[in-house]
Amino acid sequence: MTANLYVPKQAVISEIVEENSTVNTYQLTLIDDSAAQPLATMKAGQFVMLSVPHCGEAPLSLSALPSAQCSKFSLTVRKSGQLTDALHQLSCGDTVGIRGPYGQPFDLDDMGVSPLFIAGGIGLAPLRPVIEYCTNHRDKFARVSLLYGCKSSTEFCFKHDFERWQCAGMGCHLTVDQQEQGWLGEVGLVTEQLTANNIAQHDQFYICGPGVMIRFVIERLEHFGVKREQIVTTLERHMKCGVGICGHCHLEEKLVCIDGPVFRGTDLPKLTEL
Amino acid sequence: MSHTALLDKENLIPFLQHVCRQQRVVAPVKNLYGDTLFCVIDDPTMVEIDLVNQPQNSIKSFLFPQIETLSHYRLERNAETGHCDYQFTATQPEPVPTLYFAVRSCDMNAVAYFDTIFNPKTGADPYYQQRRQGATFITLACNQPAAVNCFCDKTQTGPFLSQGFDVQLTDIGESYYAVTGEHNPSNRTNLLMQFSSFFHTVTAADEQKHEQVLQQTQPLFGLDVDVEHCVEVLKTSTPSASLLKQLAVRCQGCAGCAFVCPTCSCFTISDQRLSEQHGERVRRWDACTFSGFTQMAGHHNPVDGESQRMTKRFLHKLKHDVALYDQVSCVGCGRCVDMCFGGVDIVRFIRGVCAQEGDNQVDDQRN
Repeated sequence: MTANLYVPKQAVISEIVEENSTVNTYQLTLIDDSAAQPLATMKAGQFVMLSVPHCGEAPLSLSALPSAQCSKFSLTVRKSGQLTDALHQLSCGDTVGIRGPYGQPFDLDDMGVSPLFIAGGIGLAPLRPVIEYCTNHRDKFARVSLLYGCKSSTEFCFKHDFERWQCAGMGCHLTVDQQEQGWLGEVGLVTEQLTANNIAQHDQFYICGPGVMIRFVIERLEHFGVKREQIVTTLERHMKCGVGICGHCHLEEKLVCIDGPVFRGTDLPKLTEL
Repeated sequence: MSHTALLDKENLIPFLQHVCRQQRVVAPVKNLYGDTLFCVIDDPTMVEIDLVNQPQNSIKSFLFPQIETLSHYRLERNAETGHCDYQFTATQPEPVPTLYFAVRSCDMNAVAYFDTIFNPKTGADPYYQQRRQGATFITLACNQPAAVNCFCDKTQTGPFLSQGFDVQLTDIGESYYAVTGEHNPSNRTNLLMQFSSFFHTVTAADEQKHEQVLQQTQPLFGLDVDVEHCVEVLKTSTPSASLLKQLAVRCQGCAGCAFVCPTCSCFTISDQRLSEQHGERVRRWDACTFSGFTQMAGHHNPVDGESQRMTKRFLHKLKHDVALYDQVSCVGCGRCVDMCFGGVDIVRFIRGVCAQEGDNQVDDQRN
């Protein structure tokens, strides 16, 4: 008899990194080694269903993948509801439940030669494993850049990664919505930072952030002649099962949980529904 | 290959009595209040089996209960590791062999739709699967439809079935003309052979009566609703804002339509704390017309407002499932029409879409 797909496996929180005042990254290790088999199949862009005691489940993107050397993986979580509030109360050594991985990953074999990552807020989390792939395989790519925007400079996640990524030859351009004291980076929405010049230097565009940001970034890219085939995005939706049954993530003919969350621009439904 | 036989009406109750001794039987029963509902029967002589009126419920809840516990969880301090174990134990149902008797064609088509929905490419839903495994279906052709709002003839889901059933009964007067399903994949039960003492051979005269019934049935479906045309319109146009507003303003968001619908399968999952140390994970029917259905953490809701939610429900059945399965996922049972006191039903939507197309008032927002 096959395992019941609704039953989570146990995972222990092995490390907590405070990204900002509301976002933490949780490094997790599955307790049962035999349950660790799916770890080998975790891919960039996929998500897991996270259970927190007495709070149910929520879908969360993988912000770090396990490797051959390390079976730990990470989830980056903003405190924004009952389950995530409860998660933020937990400490290292506490246990959560994990189902997955689920969903369509990024196609790492079809990334173009000069990808530009465009992220807003916590939207950098699902892009992070792809960025890690690019920086670890830098010789496969020409120009690799990140354009990352937040409301204020205190909200940037993965701040400790930026220097490492830059050292690996990735351009990191950070922007905040409004000017603030001591800020030396760009100012303005990510859409405003997308110019004909920097768009022309790239051939693939990876977008993740709030729906409205994704919508306006795609419009901006298309305005500058980028084709839908060159755009990849990952969408967020309310989900209950993660496996294509519960119906919560219906988006026209698509189910975000199994047809996504990573979508090619050509497969996206109407932008107004993002 | 299908087999035919005749079940005399006087043999019906003895037949069901016999089946009841061997397995669970679900059949339409008229209760003391005059409502006809599918329910489990132990003894068909003690209830009024109603084969005239359409049951108010479908058999959905028997295969996919309105509330069910998926698992139990327990939190225990592990003395060895110092960690708190968080262990889940599934509460999968045992398969209960069940005969679903007098299932209408529309409801049988809904089961076929559920078989697809609960078996996505990621793996079958084990709870649905367990209940479905033990199910046998004796369907009842709707050659004398009593419901005034049903339209299975327009959704291509009835009144007669060509597949999906174990045995289909057709009322031909003194008897039921019984035919076995040709494509029963399990082939586990040839009911006509298993219960052969209650059936007898079909004569040429019976065949003739059956043919007559087939021919006489179609005109009995009088509801004017052009599903096919609506599907064609929706392929290239969006419903007009005025139609949506007209309907949305009357929607109370009660989800009655979704709950009586035999093809609405959406559910939510939540935890119920039973003590500090344990609880259960429960699945419940949900509905896309509820305001919280698509709401994400942080209160962002990509499908906001009654109009959007209602549109989502209708387009799912009449457009998106057509794109996926080449078939509308409304089976034309008409229960949502009976249920909705605001008149926000699929028939009104279909008529509205067809009418706006006729008046050349379609929003031409093609993508």
